[in-house]
Amino acid sequence: MAALCRGSHRWKKINSFHVLKRKLTGKHDYDLVVIGGGSGGLACSKEAAQLGQKVAVLDYVDPSAKGTKWGLGGTCVNVGCIPKKLMHQAALLGTAVKDAQRYVKAKATMAEAVQNYVKSLNWGHRVQLQDKKVTYLNLKGTLVDKHTIRGLSKAGKETILTAKNIVLATGGRPKYPSNVPGALEHGITTCSHSDVALECAGFLTGIGLDTTVMVRTIALRGFDQQMAGLVTDHLESYGTRFEWKSVPTRVEKLSSGALKVTWTNTQTGCEHSDTFDSLLWAVGRAPETKALGLDKLGVQISKETGKIIVGPDESSSLPNIYAFGDIGEGRPELTPTAIKAGRLLAHRLAGRSSELMNYDNVRHSGSRPPRVIHSLHLSTAYIPVYHAFYKPLEFTVAQRDSSQCYIKVICERAGHQKILGLHFLGPNAGEVLQGFSLALQCGATYRQLMQTVGIHPTSAEELVKINITKRSGLDPTVTGC
Amino acid sequence: MASESDATRFDFLVIGGGSGGLAGARRAAELGANAAVIESHKLGGTCVNVGCVPKKVMWNAAVHAEYLHDHCDYGFETGSDDHELFQKLLRHFLERITFIQGYARFTDDAEPTVEVNGKKYTAPHILISTGGQPSVLSDEEVPGASLGINSDGFFELETLPKRSVIVGAGYIAVEMAGILSTLGSKTSLIIRQTGVLRNFDALISTNCTKEIQNNGIDLWKNSQVKSVCKTEKGLEVTIVTKDPDKTNDEKISVIEEVDCLLWAIGRQPNTAGLNIGAMGVDTDDRGHIIVDDFQNTTRSGIYAVGDVCGKALLTPVAIAAGRKLAHRLFEGKKDSKLDYSCIPTVVFSHPPIGTVGLTEEEAVQTKGKENVKIYKTSFTPMYHAITRRKSQCIMKLVCVGKEEKVVGLHMQGLGCDEMLQGFAVAIKMGATKEDFDKTVAIHPTSSEEFVTMR
Repeated sequence: MAALCRGSHRWKKINSFHVLKRKLTGKHDYDLVVIGGGSGGLACSKEAAQLGQKVAVLDYVDPSAKGTKWGLGGTCVNVGCIPKKLMHQAALLGTAVKDAQRYVKAKATMAEAVQNYVKSLNWGHRVQLQDKKVTYLNLKGTLVDKHTIRGLSKAGKETILTAKNIVLATGGRPKYPSNVPGALEHGITTCSHSDVALECAGFLTGIGLDTTVMVRTIALRGFDQQMAGLVTDHLESYGTRFEWKSVPTRVEKLSSGALKVTWTNTQTGCEHSDTFDSLLWAVGRAPETKALGLDKLGVQISKETGKIIVGPDESSSLPNIYAFGDIGEGRPELTPTAIKAGRLLAHRLAGRSSELMNYDNVRHSGSRPPRVIHSLHLSTAYIPVYHAFYKPLEFTVAQRDSSQCYIKVICERAGHQKILGLHFLGPNAGEVLQGFSLALQCGATYRQLMQTVGIHPTSAEELVKINITKRSGLDPTVTGC
Repeated sequence: MASESDATRFDFLVIGGGSGGLAGARRAAELGANAAVIESHKLGGTCVNVGCVPKKVMWNAAVHAEYLHDHCDYGFETGSDDHELFQKLLRHFLERITFIQGYARFTDDAEPTVEVNGKKYTAPHILISTGGQPSVLSDEEVPGASLGINSDGFFELETLPKRSVIVGAGYIAVEMAGILSTLGSKTSLIIRQTGVLRNFDALISTNCTKEIQNNGIDLWKNSQVKSVCKTEKGLEVTIVTKDPDKTNDEKISVIEEVDCLLWAIGRQPNTAGLNIGAMGVDTDDRGHIIVDDFQNTTRSGIYAVGDVCGKALLTPVAIAAGRKLAHRLFEGKKDSKLDYSCIPTVVFSHPPIGTVGLTEEEAVQTKGKENVKIYKTSFTPMYHAITRRKSQCIMKLVCVGKEEKVVGLHMQGLGCDEMLQGFAVAIKMGATKEDFDKTVAIHPTSSEEFVTMR
């Protein structure tokens, strides 16, 4: 009753339906303001609106060093998963055509087509927000106090909003190396996880460009290292060059317009240089937390990573301020995780449920043409590891090398041999893995895998036929049915 | 009695060196049995020689062709013939197994004995895995039927036919029509009713029929071939089309200049000529050998697996059944048998189809409509984001009961051939819709749509 009275003189003219839902939040402009219109932010805001909350989402893209900007949808849609997958597919086609003894030179067309598709997704997201009655503001948001946000437009105009709850979902941006002269001026960046460097190298090679990957220490940190080795072996066999244990020291632009990159091999200590047309930095990502005004409010950030320290319910150190997605400390940087976490958060904020996001067992996908590598957890010693090298049927005709088509199933030793980890390297891995990850979610055992009839002829069936253990030392090459 | 002494004795005698027979023989040999395989044609049987394997290779070629259509390019050659390679691989396996070339026929001896090229062989355990062959229509049934080829002949084609006519509505007809059409042959498909794949879930049947037409195949519904004759310009195929509403209305049409008429009207078991009747091995009215859950025929000591039994005509099924039998006979595992439920299958159409478990109709019939909940989705895969050519991906989950146990999964779309296997494992384990929803999506893929269905 008290809440009703306090709020009454602040209500705007609305019909009684809305009044019932908003009686406790009448003193703020919005029930929820989300800063960041990417995978997580959009999912959270749309879900909250559907549950009756009054929601606004702020999305703003600071131009990159080269002035690149993009629209609504965040990293995934504009400079991540989506264009990456399309280019991966283009490269697959390039390779497929190579298999068919012809060559595709359609780079410019592809780039334009990808951009057009991305723009259609930007538009689609705007329409969706409108349909779900989420207010979209193209403003750069900063926290003034725990209920107030200042939004700044490109022209410098200020807008102040108040909200009962604030969700930070600003994601991250790729890093530039800080100590390499010429890095910022002459290099471009990509979405920039360790696997994305290989993804880009893969599809660039796939469409016919001479590509070199420079690696400071190891490739695919965090992935099963045997699988990582197979991936890089494959890329090398396809023509991608690797400079291992090397760090760039400077970048200079030559009068011809080409870039001269100088690097040091940390093992030999020798300095090398070479010229390239483009330089792509994929040296990691940094969270977009600096411009939010967090330190003023006392929102705790990790000193090491700059990410916001969050609880299992995505709450920050301030009670009504939440953070999730790439910006949350310890969270996997993946779109589907952000989407799911965002929706669950919306339900909790709307008081509809108390279910928390389960961050265990998250699949990770990386696309490196012409293969895809996936990894579920890591392997350790003394555990039965079933493995197989196999030759997909599509490779026999094209006479392509298949020594890196590899599967590994890691199980518990005791009892029913519950599957702990599953690794698949081969064509179409992106589509193969989803069903298996569901089976793992249900606690699948090696026996259950073997009891499932295989589908023939596919690559996926090799997973339900796998029977040679590493321990046995037997040749794990699959030969025929 | 006298004739038995000159029969070579084995522990396990297998008639038919295809998927089922070879798998059973190899497993038995591994378990210590002295095994022999009798094969009248080529090792590997249907799958390796005139089935799954060359089919998939040709499907891949067709998929390449589709990709090229997408890039407005033409002109490619398919790869080398790898039949030799498979034969070599198979022989390599059979080191520990005696291989006997020729046709087997049961003799009239009291103890089951088989004669091949005048020599006799016997074993306490004999497995019949002779598979099947394409059904044919005689010239009496359809004049000129013999002018057409069947799937065996399809794999022997040396050049792409300019004008093809395929008869049949099952998966083999659908696959072959797809391959021929995508590779550039002007193709017609003649079906007796209004849709293809009528035993599949209705959503798949409808969608596949639609995709066939979208891919430029000339589909003749409610039609049958009346006669075929040969002219100097090619075959002339006369078709009779019935109007489904007016039973007496029939239309006669002729397709001319056909250089390939392909019958894909079914398959029949290879049991004629085995003389199994004399052994007391019962068959059904189509000649399939009747077996129980353990692959026992009606004669003790004689077993059968694979296509010859007429149930789940798939290589992995034959292989699994063959192996289970070997374990039962030679490892003392009395309960060893194959569970025939939840067998996943893929049809290599364009785009491919994946299916496992019950159709919606089957679920409603067995569990009652009120206990069945359906989840569906359809979308254009991202692959088509920048192609002029489009294809759809459709997905369906059939759930029963309060806990929404997933009893059927059906889909058609790019990538569905590789998507199905993992889901089949989960469904066989008894996964529910909630299990699907709890699984984090892999992005960006088509398969993730299954775990984000609402």
